[in-house]
Amino acid sequence: MQPGRRNHCALILLAVAAAFFIVAPAAAHAVLLESSPSLKSAISGPDVPIKLRFNVRIDALRSRLTLIHPDGSAQVLEISKQTPADTLSAEATGLTAGAYRLRWQVLASDGHITRGEIPFTVTPS
Amino acid sequence: MARLLQVFGFLSVLFRGATLTFQSLAVGGIVFLIFIVRRSQEDSAQLQQACLRWIRRSALALAVMQISYVLANSLILRESAEMPLRQVLGANFVLAGLIGIVAAFTVIALTVPTRSTGYPGLLLPAAAIIASSVMTSHSVARLDYRAPLVAFTALHQAAAATWLGGLPYLLIAIRRAPAPDAARQLSARFSQLALVSVAVLASAGLLLSFAYVGSIQAVYGTSYGAMVATKVLLFGLLLFLGALNFQLVRRGPASSILASLKRFGEAEIGIGITVILTAASLTSLPPAADLAHDRVSAREIFARMSPRSPRFASPAVQELPEDIYAAQKKAFEVGSLSTESYVPGQTGTRLNTPAEKAWSEYNHHWAGIIVLSMGLLALLAQAGRFSWARNWPLAFFGLSAFLFLRSDPETWPLGPVGFWATLADPEILLHRFFALLVIALAVFEWRVQTGRVASGRARLVFPALIAVSGALLLTHSHSLGNLKEELLAELSHIPLAILAVTAGWSRWLELRLPSENQTRNVMARLWPLCIALIGVVLLNYREM
Repeated sequence: MQPGRRNHCALILLAVAAAFFIVAPAAAHAVLLESSPSLKSAISGPDVPIKLRFNVRIDALRSRLTLIHPDGSAQVLEISKQTPADTLSAEATGLTAGAYRLRWQVLASDGHITRGEIPFTVTPS
Repeated sequence: MARLLQVFGFLSVLFRGATLTFQSLAVGGIVFLIFIVRRSQEDSAQLQQACLRWIRRSALALAVMQISYVLANSLILRESAEMPLRQVLGANFVLAGLIGIVAAFTVIALTVPTRSTGYPGLLLPAAAIIASSVMTSHSVARLDYRAPLVAFTALHQAAAATWLGGLPYLLIAIRRAPAPDAARQLSARFSQLALVSVAVLASAGLLLSFAYVGSIQAVYGTSYGAMVATKVLLFGLLLFLGALNFQLVRRGPASSILASLKRFGEAEIGIGITVILTAASLTSLPPAADLAHDRVSAREIFARMSPRSPRFASPAVQELPEDIYAAQKKAFEVGSLSTESYVPGQTGTRLNTPAEKAWSEYNHHWAGIIVLSMGLLALLAQAGRFSWARNWPLAFFGLSAFLFLRSDPETWPLGPVGFWATLADPEILLHRFFALLVIALAVFEWRVQTGRVASGRARLVFPALIAVSGALLLTHSHSLGNLKEELLAELSHIPLAILAVTAGWSRWLELRLPSENQTRNVMARLWPLCIALIGVVLLNYREM
């Protein structure tokens, strides 16, 4: 093998090794600190105020709250504009009893996108 | 789109690491050109052109990385939130990216060979590059003390760029200096600049640590804290090399000063990039100060790390979950960990079963025995008493076979999934490929150790691979929350990474330093010792 080609082989090996060692890194840092409704809680309906507080400033305009109903249908909730920089607020109305999931996705002010899910149950009022 | 989602987390850290690296090289080059080269008394036209060429290349690479990041992040935001393009374009990260891209192209335009304007004009786009990076750092998203944190972050990054980003230019300058004295002068002037940069970097870093880590308990109790501690250790390693340089310039043998400086410079650049990758990894983690609950306590770390006899009995394959991927998906659907935060495309994590933990410990412990043996044999070989010990790289064959058999127990030859079916699974395919790569590594290093390759860059494959693997171990897999099990596993990865980085660069220095440099002998003993210690850490690896 020519010396030049051998060097190329070394570089390819390096690149492949590099690719192997980067295994599923996580990237984001908006962390949910508290929520209402809280995780796996039971809350009386039909109207449920929603409030999520994060550890960093959130770009509310580019964040999403989606409610998954017991029948699997998804409803995008309107995020209130009058909240502190680290909080997302919304109101889910007319909820019948059953198991719901609140899916959130936020864009932090530093550009990181993070998402999560909060399962909760609505009990008859 | 689904594929982009799958690799999004990986891409984010990759882009961030590459952006920070190229930003440091572009800004460091500009500072070097203006404050070191331009003030040199020697005729430095050639050197200036060489610096300009590398500044231009770095700026181009930075622009490519910024464009890639903005495109990928915009696409993910647009698709995952079903957001109109106009709304995406108003995001802060798009604005920051655009500033960085425009600044990088301005640097390229100002450094084209035909231009003859003064270089101080480059300082403005250099400042814009730092500003664009700060705009996507932790500091802008903080609720308290935002303005001082932004200022300290800017100082921290600018000082890092001046020092670490200036090092490759120092090597270029040493190589192209018209006379040894000129090279010595340039080195001395850069040393002064580096000292100031280190002082600014350390002071700003300390203040940022107070804000983001907050307590000693958070240093070892959270991923963020542990990574900051790692960064400090690597910083110490860099300072140690810097001190060796310092001594060399003043008291070293005149005949080999420049050659030694170049070699130390190579190692410093490598470790510097490792520090930058660690920093990129930090930007993707929530600050320790924000995670007050579920931290790992000193007692838990002690209980996990205290020495115990290795596990030499493996659970049977039948005791493991049949399909680990289905088990993971099921665990996520149950929602047991759904308070966690994820990046788009990431799935939930599932706590391993006791059998899986035992399987993993058994794997680590046998790998530890093989690696410890290699380290000890390499030490014997270096001592020159047992020539047969030079064959130690052949032990990699054992490691490769072990990886092939045990990394995916559900597949052939141990599990029910057939060999050809495994080729369709990218993760298993990657494991298989890695087993082959270890064989390649064995062949390369065995040829070097037994004198079949006496010179050339092929000798550097082994140290480079070890150093790169150590660096990348620091960037991989962090938990966003305070998942104790993940953090405890991570705490055992950190010493492995630091030992690998040290082993790689000490072997590099042994091969590259001129023979009259005494440090070479120390390096020759250091890397086998680090490999042996990697074996010891692996032997004590615990998951329960």
